[in-house]
Amino acid sequence: MTSTRQITTMQAAAVLISTIIGVGVLPLPLFAVHTAESGAPLVTFISMLIALVGTILLALLGMRFPDQTIIEYSGSIIGKWPARIGSAMIIAFFAVLTSLTAREFGEVVITAVLQRTPVEVTVIVMLSLAAISSRKDIATFGYIHFFYFPLLLGPVLLIATLSLKNADALNLLPIWGNGNIGIKATIDGILTIASLFQSSFVLTIVIPAMRRPRKALKAAVWGVLISGGLYIIIVIANVSVFGAEETKNLLWPTLELAKATSLPANVLERLDAAFLAVWVTAVFTTLFSTYALTTRELANLFRLRDHGALCFFLLPFVFFLAMLPQNILNMYEVIRNVGQVGLCITIGYPALLLAVAVLRGKRGDRP
Amino acid sequence: MIALLLAVPALTGCWDRLEIEDRAVVLGISVDTVPSAGERSEQEITHLSGSYPAPGGTRVRVGVQIALPGRIPLGPGEGGGGGQGPSAKTVWVVDAVGETLDDALMNLQQQISGRLFYGHLRVIVVSEALARQGLENMNDYFRRNSEIRRMAWMMVSSGPALDLMKASPELERVPTLYLMSTMDSAVRMGKFPVNYVGMFWSQSSKRGQEGFLPYVEVKKEQNVEIKGLAYFKNDRMVGFTKPFEIAAYMVVKGLNPAGYRAFVRLGDPERTVMVYATSRRSKIRVSIRNGVPHFHVDIFTELNLEEKVSNELTVNRSEILREIGRQNEKSISIAAEQLIEKTKKNNSDIFGFGEYVRAKVPGYWRKHVRTKENWQKIYPTIQVDLHVHSSIRRIGMKAK
Repeated sequence: MTSTRQITTMQAAAVLISTIIGVGVLPLPLFAVHTAESGAPLVTFISMLIALVGTILLALLGMRFPDQTIIEYSGSIIGKWPARIGSAMIIAFFAVLTSLTAREFGEVVITAVLQRTPVEVTVIVMLSLAAISSRKDIATFGYIHFFYFPLLLGPVLLIATLSLKNADALNLLPIWGNGNIGIKATIDGILTIASLFQSSFVLTIVIPAMRRPRKALKAAVWGVLISGGLYIIIVIANVSVFGAEETKNLLWPTLELAKATSLPANVLERLDAAFLAVWVTAVFTTLFSTYALTTRELANLFRLRDHGALCFFLLPFVFFLAMLPQNILNMYEVIRNVGQVGLCITIGYPALLLAVAVLRGKRGDRP
Repeated sequence: MIALLLAVPALTGCWDRLEIEDRAVVLGISVDTVPSAGERSEQEITHLSGSYPAPGGTRVRVGVQIALPGRIPLGPGEGGGGGQGPSAKTVWVVDAVGETLDDALMNLQQQISGRLFYGHLRVIVVSEALARQGLENMNDYFRRNSEIRRMAWMMVSSGPALDLMKASPELERVPTLYLMSTMDSAVRMGKFPVNYVGMFWSQSSKRGQEGFLPYVEVKKEQNVEIKGLAYFKNDRMVGFTKPFEIAAYMVVKGLNPAGYRAFVRLGDPERTVMVYATSRRSKIRVSIRNGVPHFHVDIFTELNLEEKVSNELTVNRSEILREIGRQNEKSISIAAEQLIEKTKKNNSDIFGFGEYVRAKVPGYWRKHVRTKENWQKIYPTIQVDLHVHSSIRRIGMKAK
């Protein structure tokens, strides 16, 4: 028993943070200004609250069934077949999410850094990395995330702080935006930003491996608050430096911010190279989580003892999905739509499960 | 095994390898208009009559300054590549005509072996004629290109922009670096506000603000003079200021460091002194009076006395300094008001007063403004009250 329950509360929170912070960091300010212009930090905050609710639901469910993942306990809550449909949806969704993350990564790399390297190569390299790492057990999973998460927080905070030199607080006023954007587009945008958090679903495979599953709620709240706080800081830095209108002109405002920020005393004149290096790590940890989630849950669904073989079996499918979007604008349309549909799966479905579990008095934590 | 096979394509080579000898490192770009009278003798490189029609409109002449590998001195002690002296060429200036910026650059690329590389682009010069026609095409291209940095300087030249590329000032061995250091030291000396191309873009994008660029001219010793601010309406240059009006702009915005000198006359012309601004502060408040935005600008400037015209005036009492301060307050208010009036005539709110309305009185903004075009119409009607306070602190080493 001791060998399978190794993840500490801190590690669980670190898993959440490094999973949530990912490819979305780059376009996030663009999504946010399209949602509320100068009110961008506020909508990011609201989105964070939505994500927080979703993650808390998951944590509560996980604490009710501390030895099982969502695939396993959903069967005992809503019955075998409805649960299988739900599980299949979760697995399919995370396979798609993994592929889209990999594709978005590939698009950024081919546009901004390696312009002649085929996008297929960057995508397959990233996916293979995730596949190889996913074969390892859950303790290694926890360690890898715990190792990387300070590397993610530090540089992003550094860039945000240094960029404040060029910031103008006027750009952030009025904090609720100028009301040029309709209510429908605003809600749409809030949901899109909230969907950037949904890889926090990985909590469901972390809880059964936690040393003290009772602390899952604490890990969930801290995980979402820290990553959400970082997102808000990124949005504030971008909007205060560029202004809402200029941010709308930039496909990846955060990358542009790193380009416009220099270390004092001419040590580094532009930080985009350093930032991209960090960001690759961030994307890797996200892909790693979603890929591990997909393969583990798939193994659980088919009651396989080991998920190792599945890791490579799944790779061609995920790669194929990643290559489906026709162009970069099409890709972002798909990401927005998939993200919003995904909220039903990552927040709606757990909410349903929890409600039914409470009503039927199902628990897995006491015999 | 499969993993190894997959890793092979990633390890065998690097697609994006580009040796430094194969790059043509562009340090500066100039963009001019081409008189439309000339016949179209251009080669069809990015367009082909029939299948890829060219957009028409005005054509541009693009000049690039390419660094010559091995000739750029790396340190102060290093000789200019085999004792050729300081005037040895470090850069190569080539130019080509095209329908658009990219077209012209591609026409150039067709003539140059190395791939044009913009990662070290520091200065972009556009001619006034082109700036007055609009920079939409240029701004679009430069924003889209991932190699361009937002920290480059963009400037408007009163004459042909290509002259600035060809100019080879004596002070710096790389001409573009001289241009760049002209601007950077102007910023340090308080002669010009920091205004990289990225900032210009941000300002132009804002609904309640317009952008401005440095307005420069090549002088006879191939040095470059900063002649004022070229101010814009949307992407189109609509006017330029006098050099001292840069100071007026910086005063209203409260930008530091301050560096401009000014004559302050106390009555009689003989009783004139030169003062030197050292630091400023300003606070802009906005209110709506009778449906018109009303701005209240509190300005504080700190001055030093630098020279005296004659001995008519004896500076030995603090009374006199206060008098000079009061006179300076009047002068600076007039200068600033004139600048504001000038920009109002061209509907070009380079101060960003509109941004204060948008940020501080969102109710009014929502009801009456909303768009950039509306603010351009409202800007001439706004009222600005300037309250200047100047104090002279020091008088140099002379006692009277």
